[in-house]
Amino acid sequence: MITGNLKASYAADERVFDNRNKWAFFAASLAVLAGMAGFANDYVILVACQMGILLIAVVGVNVVTGYTGLISLGHAAFVAVGAYTVAIFHAGFAGVIPDGLMALIAIPVAVAVSALVGIIVGLPSLRVKGLYLAVATLSANFIVIFLIEQEAFAHWTGGMVGINTPAPDFFGWELDTKREMFVLIAALGVLTLLAVQNLFRTRVGRAFIAIRDRDYSAEIMGISLLRYKLTSFAISAALCGLSGALFAYFYARILPEQFELALSLELVAAMIVGGMGRTMGPVFGVIVIVMVPEVIKSLFGVATGGEASMAQLLAPLQDIAFGLLIVLFLLFEPLGLNHMADRALRAMNRWPFAR
Amino acid sequence: MGQFLQFAINGLMSGAIYALIAVGIVSVFKATKVVNFAHGYVIMVGAYFYYTFAVLIPGAEWAPAWLASWQPGWLMEMREGLPMFSPMGAVLDWVQNLPRILFGLAGAVLANAALGLLIERTLMRPLMGQSVFAMIMITVGLISILAGAAQLVWTADADFVPHIAPNAPVRFEMFGTTIFLFGADIVNMIVALLIFGAIVAMVRFTKSGVAIRATAEDQSTAYSMGISVPKVFSRAWMLAAATGAIAGAILATRNGISPSLGLFGFSVLAIVLMGGLDSYVGVFIAALAVGVLEAMTQWQLGGDWAEIVPYVAVLVVILIRPHGLFGQKEVERI
Repeated sequence: MITGNLKASYAADERVFDNRNKWAFFAASLAVLAGMAGFANDYVILVACQMGILLIAVVGVNVVTGYTGLISLGHAAFVAVGAYTVAIFHAGFAGVIPDGLMALIAIPVAVAVSALVGIIVGLPSLRVKGLYLAVATLSANFIVIFLIEQEAFAHWTGGMVGINTPAPDFFGWELDTKREMFVLIAALGVLTLLAVQNLFRTRVGRAFIAIRDRDYSAEIMGISLLRYKLTSFAISAALCGLSGALFAYFYARILPEQFELALSLELVAAMIVGGMGRTMGPVFGVIVIVMVPEVIKSLFGVATGGEASMAQLLAPLQDIAFGLLIVLFLLFEPLGLNHMADRALRAMNRWPFAR
Repeated sequence: MGQFLQFAINGLMSGAIYALIAVGIVSVFKATKVVNFAHGYVIMVGAYFYYTFAVLIPGAEWAPAWLASWQPGWLMEMREGLPMFSPMGAVLDWVQNLPRILFGLAGAVLANAALGLLIERTLMRPLMGQSVFAMIMITVGLISILAGAAQLVWTADADFVPHIAPNAPVRFEMFGTTIFLFGADIVNMIVALLIFGAIVAMVRFTKSGVAIRATAEDQSTAYSMGISVPKVFSRAWMLAAATGAIAGAILATRNGISPSLGLFGFSVLAIVLMGGLDSYVGVFIAALAVGVLEAMTQWQLGGDWAEIVPYVAVLVVILIRPHGLFGQKEVERI
C-alpha cells in the first residue's frame, strides 16, 4: 500500500497523476529530455531517437495486447503503413501542398490510414482470439510487406529496394538534423504516453481492460465487443502509424525488410520485458531492447579487438540475447521490469520494515 | 490440361512435405496445448544436423573413406561405360552416397530429438499451467535463440546436401500429356506420407498414443489415471523434433541449406490453423490443398505470389470457420 496518498474526492482519485511523486517524476523526465536535446552527444541522440520511435509503436502494441488482451504479432505492418504513407504522400502532393505544411498534413494522414488498416486487420479478432489471432495478425504482416515489395506498386513504394524519404518541414523550419528530430520524437513520445495514461481513465479504456480480463463477462455487462475490439485495434494501429511516420522522417530511406516479422517480435518483446498493460512498461522495455544489442556490440568490440573475421558472429549473438531476454523474462519475471520497479519503490516506501 | 496436371502433382508433392512439418506442430499441441511458433526453426536446426552428419563429418579427415563415398568393386564395374545423366547413373550415384545419407538421417533424428527434449525440459516444463500467452511467447523467443545459434555454429552461408533418393528424372504419360518429375521428389513425398501415416497410427493404436490423446482430453484426469503427463510432454516434443529433422533434411535437399529454412514454419503454422489445430485429417487436407493452391498460383501469377498463399488462405478460413476446417470448437467455461 502506498502511504501519503489520501484522496478526498473521486476527481482527485481519477487524475492522470494521482500523487505528487508522479508529478515529480514527470517533471524530472521532461527536464532530462530537455537536457539531452541541448547537451547530449550525437551518439546518445541517435540511440534516443531510435528508442523514441520504437517506444510509440510499443505503446501501440501495449494498447491492443497489454490492455485489451488481443495477441498481435503483426504490428510491424502498421508501422510500415505509416512510414510508406508519409513517403507516398510527400511524393504525390509535392507542389500541391506547400512544403511548410506538408508534414502537418502527412502525419495525421499516415495515422488515419494506419488506423483504417488496423480496423481491417482487427476484423478477425471478432471471431477468434488467443493464438488464432496471433497467427492472423502474423499473416497480415506477411501480406502487407509482400504487397509493398510487389513490382506492380513499385512506382509508389519503390519495391524491394525501398524509397527515399524527405525530412519534415514545419512552416519553413526543416528538421534536417538528428537533434531537431529528437525534439519532435521526444515531444510526440511524451504526448503518446500521456494520451494512453489518460485513455485508461475513460470509459473506452475501462472497456478494453474488461475485455482483457474476461471477454464474455464484458459482453454480458453491455460492452460491445465489436466496437471496442476494433477501437482498440484502431488506436494501437494509429500509434504504430505515428511511429512509422517518424521512422520515415528520421531515416533517409526506408526498406520493406525493415518492417518484417523481426520488428513485430521486437515490439512484443519490448512490451513483455517492460511489463504488459502498464503505462511505463514500454519505456523500460524499449530502453532494454535497444540498449542490449548496443552493449553487446561494444563488449564484443572490446573482446575481439575489432577483428574483422569475428564480426560475423556479432549478429547471431545479438539474436540469441534478444531471444533469451524474452524467454528469461517470461520464466522469471512475467510482469516485466515495471513490476520490479514497483517492488523496489514499495520496499523503499516501507523501509525499514517489511521488504 | 497437361500444364494443370503437372502443377497439381508438384503441388501435392510439396503439400506432403508441409503435412510432415505440420505433424510436429499438431503433435505438440495435442499433448501440451502449446502451439510451437518456433517449429520451423527446430526444423532448420534439424536440417543443419543432417548437413553436419551427412556432409561435414564424412568430409572430415578422420572419417573413414567409405562414409564419404562408398565404392565397392561391383559398383565401380557397373559405372563403367554408363553415359552421363542416365537414370542408372543417378541410382549408382545415390548408392555411393547411401552410407552418409543414412548416417546423416540417423544423426539428425537423434540430435534433434535431444534438442526437443532440452527445449521441453528447460523452457516448457517450468511454464506448465501458465497462460497460453506466456507459452506462445516463449516459443517466439526460441525463434531468435535457434536462428542465432544456428548462425553461430554453422555460419549463415548457404550450402547443399545430398538428396535422400536417386534424383533421376521420371517421365510418364497421363491423360495424353507427358508429366515430368524428379525421382527424389517422389521419394520425398512417399517418405513424408509414410511418416505422417505412422504417427497418426501410433496416436490411434499404441499405448503411448492413447496417453497422448488422454492428455489432450484432460490433463488432470489423465494424471490421476496414472498417465505420467510430463513424460507425455517430453515424448511429444521429441517426436515433433525427430519428424522435424527428417522434414528439415528433405527441405534442405530441395532448397539448399540456410537459416532462412525456418520461415517455412510460419506458412505451415498457417496451414495447421487452417486445418484445425487438433485434427490430423484436417491438417493433412489443408496441407495438400495449400500445396496445390501454391503450385496453381505459381503457374498463373508467378513465383513470388505463391509465398503468401498460405497466409491469405488461413485468413479466409479463420474468418469463415474460426476453428479451422476440422478443428474442435473450444468450449469455454465462464
